[in-house]
Amino acid sequence: MEILEFMLIPFIACLLLIGSNVYFGIHVLKREIIFIDIALAQIAALGGAIAMVIQQTMEGSNAHEHSEDSFFSYAFSLLFCTIAAILFSLLKNKKIKIPLEALIGIAYAVATAAAVIILDKGAGGDVHIHDMLIGSILWVGWDQVLKLAITVGIIGLFHVIFRKRFFALSDYYLTNDIKYKNKSLWDFLFYFSFGILIVQAVQVGGILTVFAFLIIPASISSLLASRWYSRILIGLGIGGIITFLGLYFSWELDVPCSPVIILFLGIVLLISLVITRLKRN
Amino acid sequence: MLDNLLFLSAPIAACILFAGILSYFGNHILSRGIIFIDIAIAQIAALGTMIGLLLGFAEESFSIDIASYLFTLIVISAFALTKFKKQRISQEAIIGIIYCIGLAVALLLAEKIPGGSNYISKTITGNILWVSWTQVFYCLLLFLGIAAIHLYFRKQFVKISDYASKEELAYSLKRLRLYELVFYITFGVVIVKTVPIAGIFLVFILLVAPTTAISLFTNNWKKRLIWSWIIGFLGSVIGIYLSYSFNISNGPCIVCLLGILVFVLAFIKLLKKA
Repeated sequence: MEILEFMLIPFIACLLLIGSNVYFGIHVLKREIIFIDIALAQIAALGGAIAMVIQQTMEGSNAHEHSEDSFFSYAFSLLFCTIAAILFSLLKNKKIKIPLEALIGIAYAVATAAAVIILDKGAGGDVHIHDMLIGSILWVGWDQVLKLAITVGIIGLFHVIFRKRFFALSDYYLTNDIKYKNKSLWDFLFYFSFGILIVQAVQVGGILTVFAFLIIPASISSLLASRWYSRILIGLGIGGIITFLGLYFSWELDVPCSPVIILFLGIVLLISLVITRLKRN
Repeated sequence: MLDNLLFLSAPIAACILFAGILSYFGNHILSRGIIFIDIAIAQIAALGTMIGLLLGFAEESFSIDIASYLFTLIVISAFALTKFKKQRISQEAIIGIIYCIGLAVALLLAEKIPGGSNYISKTITGNILWVSWTQVFYCLLLFLGIAAIHLYFRKQFVKISDYASKEELAYSLKRLRLYELVFYITFGVVIVKTVPIAGIFLVFILLVAPTTAISLFTNNWKKRLIWSWIIGFLGSVIGIYLSYSFNISNGPCIVCLLGILVFVLAFIKLLKKA
């Protein structure tokens, strides 16, 4: 029963991540803004980096402790997420005829480059990159999972209440004919709530894991169904099973769990591709 | 000052060369809506290198380059050939999936190779400051060859990029696939060549930013091409100059300069005739 003790927290964390990301993933696929989460995560990280530099210059050079969890840097991350949300919702405009994904990509590159300039390639950059990519889901504590659960709960409630608006917004995103007023405001709320979730999720799961959870289950569900509710259910079911299997195998084979889960998700995607092809013939 | 100019001459030459070929490809990439393809290709190339290492080839040898190219070309050919089937998943989503599965496999393999995680972070940084004249010269030859191929097929490539999702093209499926294969293979070779020298972010920004900036205002191919070259060249040279005078790393400096330019132009476009 050692495995249960060890794997219970990571499993709950993964379920929370999958649950929220499947829902957002369907939105993201419909809007064709696949890399939005990496961009938001990087922009939030830039906010954190700026907060760190400000803190260090204010407190002098003796403030060397890692203050990643501090309220100050979290506030800065949120501020930058807000700015990004405003940018992306304003730039989705009939006058701008290029795909939003291009602007998202550029924002991502600028945020990364700016972080490099600000931190001036601090020592241990390689290790940092590695951690940022796959996170350390095996070592999350109850407090982090609790924080994630609260975030997911609040944002989930918000999206459940206004689900019709958010569904409609993404369904007609590419064709630009939405009946609702205040389209930009709702667009902003979408990016803003997504940004808050991403900041928490990346701290637990790392960028790569969150990205994979976002797009692979949603892609699988788009192959097998087209209605929102069935897609969410399919994504949740597959995501849950794969997470369980992935964690079990990574325990048995003693390999990092995130890549294993991603590989399994990839295999399921391949299988569903084959199934849809066979069905069509 | 003269010494500095001499020291910076190879990086400037490399930047101008890269801006030339990448800004051209950027117009196709933007029209096709496959923005992140270069990041996926770079990841697959890094994975190819790691597989080569596992197969026992020596580091930085000729055979490992071949392994990396071969692996990249297989993946990108598969991507090019599956394009014209009816799809429920957009191409950009497939690119995202290729990227993250490639990265996941690389992370698993990194455990088996000593210093393996270096190959993951290596593709991210790059350093154009240390490029040598021989490297620049090889790149020039390679790019001239690719430019010749693209000059020959220019009409077909422009047509395919304009109608990326529609099936209104006058070509038979076989010919279409041939053109696609030529396009993606040449593009893959350029990315595999440029990313280790300049780093993934500089390559990405030179690819996407100049064409995005001009495509805000026009969709005429000739104007887009000429202006994206002008923007790419000026951005690289001014970026290197700024990085020199403010003493910051030059890759990130060019990235910020070109990227912020795009956002400024986008807002000018928004405010115009509001």
